[in-house]
Amino acid sequence: MNIHLRSVLIATCAIGMGAGLSSSAISASAPKRTIGLVVTSWFSAKYNTPHWEECPEGAALGNDELWIKNLPQAQRIKATAGGAVQPVDGERKTQAVVRGPKGEDVCWNPEVVKDPPMRIVRGKTGYGFNLDGTDDGRATPKSCKHDKFTSPEGVKVDNQLYRLLGCILGMRNDAYLEGHPNQERQDSGKGTILIEISDVDDAKNDDAVQVAFYGSIDTLPKDSTGKILANASYRINDNPIYGTKARGKIVDGVLATDAADVRLPMYGNNYTGDIPLKDMRLNLTLPREGKPANGLMGGYYDFAKWWDYFQKIEFLLVSNQWSCPQVYVAAKELRDGYPDPQTGECTALSTAMTIEALPAFVIHPDKPNRVAANDSPTRLAAK
Amino acid sequence: MLRHLVSIVAISVALIGCGPGEPKTAGAPAGFRQLSEAQYRNIVADVFGPDIQIAGAFAPIPRTDGLMAVGSGRVAVTPSAFERYEKLARFVAAQVVNADNRPMLVPCAPAQGAVDEACARAFYAKTGRLLYRRPLTDAERDHLVALTSQVAKAGTFDDGLAAGVSAMLVAPDFLLIGDVIETDKSGAQRMTDYSKASRLSFFLWNAGPDDALLTAAEKGELASHAGLTKQAERMLQSPRVEAGVRALFSDMLMLEGAATLQKDPVIYPAFGMAASFDASEQTLRTIVDLMLTRDGNYRDLFTTRQTFLTRTLGVIYEVPVQKSLGWVPYTFPENDPHVGIQSYASLLALNSHPGRSSVTLRGKAVRELLLCQKVPDPPANVDFTLVSDSANPDFKTARQRVSAHSSDPSCAGCHKLMDPIGLSLENFDGAGQFRTVENGVTIDPSGELDGVAFQNPIQLGKALHDNTSATQCVVSRAFAYAAGRAPARDERQYVDYLHKRFADNGYRLKELLKDIATSDGLYAVGPGSPATRPQAAADAAKERS
Repeated sequence: MNIHLRSVLIATCAIGMGAGLSSSAISASAPKRTIGLVVTSWFSAKYNTPHWEECPEGAALGNDELWIKNLPQAQRIKATAGGAVQPVDGERKTQAVVRGPKGEDVCWNPEVVKDPPMRIVRGKTGYGFNLDGTDDGRATPKSCKHDKFTSPEGVKVDNQLYRLLGCILGMRNDAYLEGHPNQERQDSGKGTILIEISDVDDAKNDDAVQVAFYGSIDTLPKDSTGKILANASYRINDNPIYGTKARGKIVDGVLATDAADVRLPMYGNNYTGDIPLKDMRLNLTLPREGKPANGLMGGYYDFAKWWDYFQKIEFLLVSNQWSCPQVYVAAKELRDGYPDPQTGECTALSTAMTIEALPAFVIHPDKPNRVAANDSPTRLAAK
Repeated sequence: MLRHLVSIVAISVALIGCGPGEPKTAGAPAGFRQLSEAQYRNIVADVFGPDIQIAGAFAPIPRTDGLMAVGSGRVAVTPSAFERYEKLARFVAAQVVNADNRPMLVPCAPAQGAVDEACARAFYAKTGRLLYRRPLTDAERDHLVALTSQVAKAGTFDDGLAAGVSAMLVAPDFLLIGDVIETDKSGAQRMTDYSKASRLSFFLWNAGPDDALLTAAEKGELASHAGLTKQAERMLQSPRVEAGVRALFSDMLMLEGAATLQKDPVIYPAFGMAASFDASEQTLRTIVDLMLTRDGNYRDLFTTRQTFLTRTLGVIYEVPVQKSLGWVPYTFPENDPHVGIQSYASLLALNSHPGRSSVTLRGKAVRELLLCQKVPDPPANVDFTLVSDSANPDFKTARQRVSAHSSDPSCAGCHKLMDPIGLSLENFDGAGQFRTVENGVTIDPSGELDGVAFQNPIQLGKALHDNTSATQCVVSRAFAYAAGRAPARDERQYVDYLHKRFADNGYRLKELLKDIATSDGLYAVGPGSPATRPQAAADAAKERS
């Protein structure tokens, strides 16, 4: 049950000593409330060092690089004017990707060529959650043997997707493959994730709250400088694949959820789809003192779904430098979650995302009263 | 015979007078008012259709006695303004005869090179009557037909019609709403029925008279209280009355300022132009809903929780809005501080500074806009340094700043009128967003209005609700809006009479509008009126016969 907090506050003060409106005390019997959040930014969580120490072999090789390297010498000389220039973009984009023995597109047929092993992250530090519960990454009923990272806080964590992609030029922090889709989401409103924290007794410390994850069908309103505004209303995407709920608790203003299988909307780089995350966990510092919520979300990303996205952004190969066959082979080797009962091969990659979120109203069109009695998420979270 | 009988009845009713007990007034000299931009647009849409585009903005009309509707009677049409009218007239006229609109507006299509004078005459008779708000005189029609023929010789018939339309659209008879006076049998001056029709129509619809009203004027029906009442009731039942009510309150509350309102985007990021427009529209929608749709009590405007919101306004008010586009009805929960139109973002933001709220401006706005009480302008040498320094570490809240400022005896008198009201609205920042602290200090929103103390903005709404000046104000403003002049001192009894009827009718606005519209006081012509326009009066009489 939700209540308009302002009503409570004002009633308390107005009836009391006439001191006007105050943000002070909430009565002990205050009903449970809801905090809505809209995720305004998310990036895959990567521990990037300025000088690429985590990639001792260097940046991952680009598809065009492997293409030109494997060309017969005469063609290579022709394409590069005797090595004086790089092949023009047109050739790099169109020819490099169809370098299968029969002209196959190697992103759609990643096993038709055998590239050298991919340059992946060899560093020991990473962000994420300890999804399998082990300190050594040994195989368990729901995970395959893998290497663990250690977080900057010293916790053993799993993030095989970072291990896979962390040395790709376009996947580095602030690089195109991360920044561009984030901007696309902010500009279009597509793929916007909503988080609804309900059953909140105390926004600072509450040992039992419920956390639901939705997609939004609305754009993100911005101010004149392009900053996304807090306290806007967002209608949920009522597709039943969204709306998974997880249990959680709030400790000192930090929300932590239990593991839950969720689907999140996904948009970016011309791709529209969703992200199925198994064993998802969220660790989120709630909005405070005018700052947005921020934190980490992680889980096991279904490999097939992830590859569906990755192969469909092949048009970004040249500018962002990766090889589909290399990534495909390495990804299959790095899969660490949810072994197939038949083959024993894992079917998912551990991953984590850094997220930032603003207070918002999560609108359920079929349940207007539920939200209409909501309170300003900013004020609730600030309590 | 029937017409004769109707006339006798009408004269009898007219002799009896307006509503029972209406005090007689001396009236005011006849005058002219310039069409407002909205009125111009409404008339063009009525006569030529809503698809006619009207580009550009009109010269602003100064506000006099609290209303632009009054100021419009005191403006001069400058050469540059006339040039703008002329360009606009040509632009509109070209659209009237273009391929999209001509088939619906022009009743004939003469062969190329031909001029159909009968067609032109019929066209001008129909459109001219609506534009001039009376039938054209023979001379006016002849002139327009001759102009059409002359232009057609050098171009086409349609070019000629366009020239005629342009000529009408820049004519004083169109651009100025003039009170035309005639002399009755007793030799007393009175407003012609056509002028009454205009006054009635611009008051209730913010547009020119329609065919039915002009026909009533033509038949002399507006000379009688019964005839006037019949037309007023018809017009009040029409959906077009919404435009009239919107115009009245937009003028009264100075909402036109929303179009140019600027807030510091760093301090108030959520308050951009869209929010400003929506805030103004929210106030008008709330008024229309309470006053027209629900036929409610005017006093409830200060305590109502029922309003309408957009997603943009939801960000300002920090409340959920169910729809992404358009307006949704919304009821602020019990005890939410947003109670009544005085707590809405439009009035709060309009009466604030770009980067901070203003106790004084808000108090002044409540006094002047809602209670019709004039607050003197500040002395020329007043020092605003302290009140404008919202970052002053020694005076963290507006209460502390204005308290220090108004300790100066020369300031205190006026500030006592404004500040106790404005301070109770300090829970809303310069954009109308709710807040409980300023510079880390809890805001004390207590205040006082005419001896009634209150603790917060909710109670301010109640105090306004119960304040007789608020209802007297809207009576006075509505009359001034309708008549184009503020009530004179010797019309006090008449205004009191209207106010009493307003109270007796449960402060329902529609009843007030009807009372004003059907009162003799609205049409009374006082001494000093210009001489009767004999030709127009004679033509009108001729048309009537």
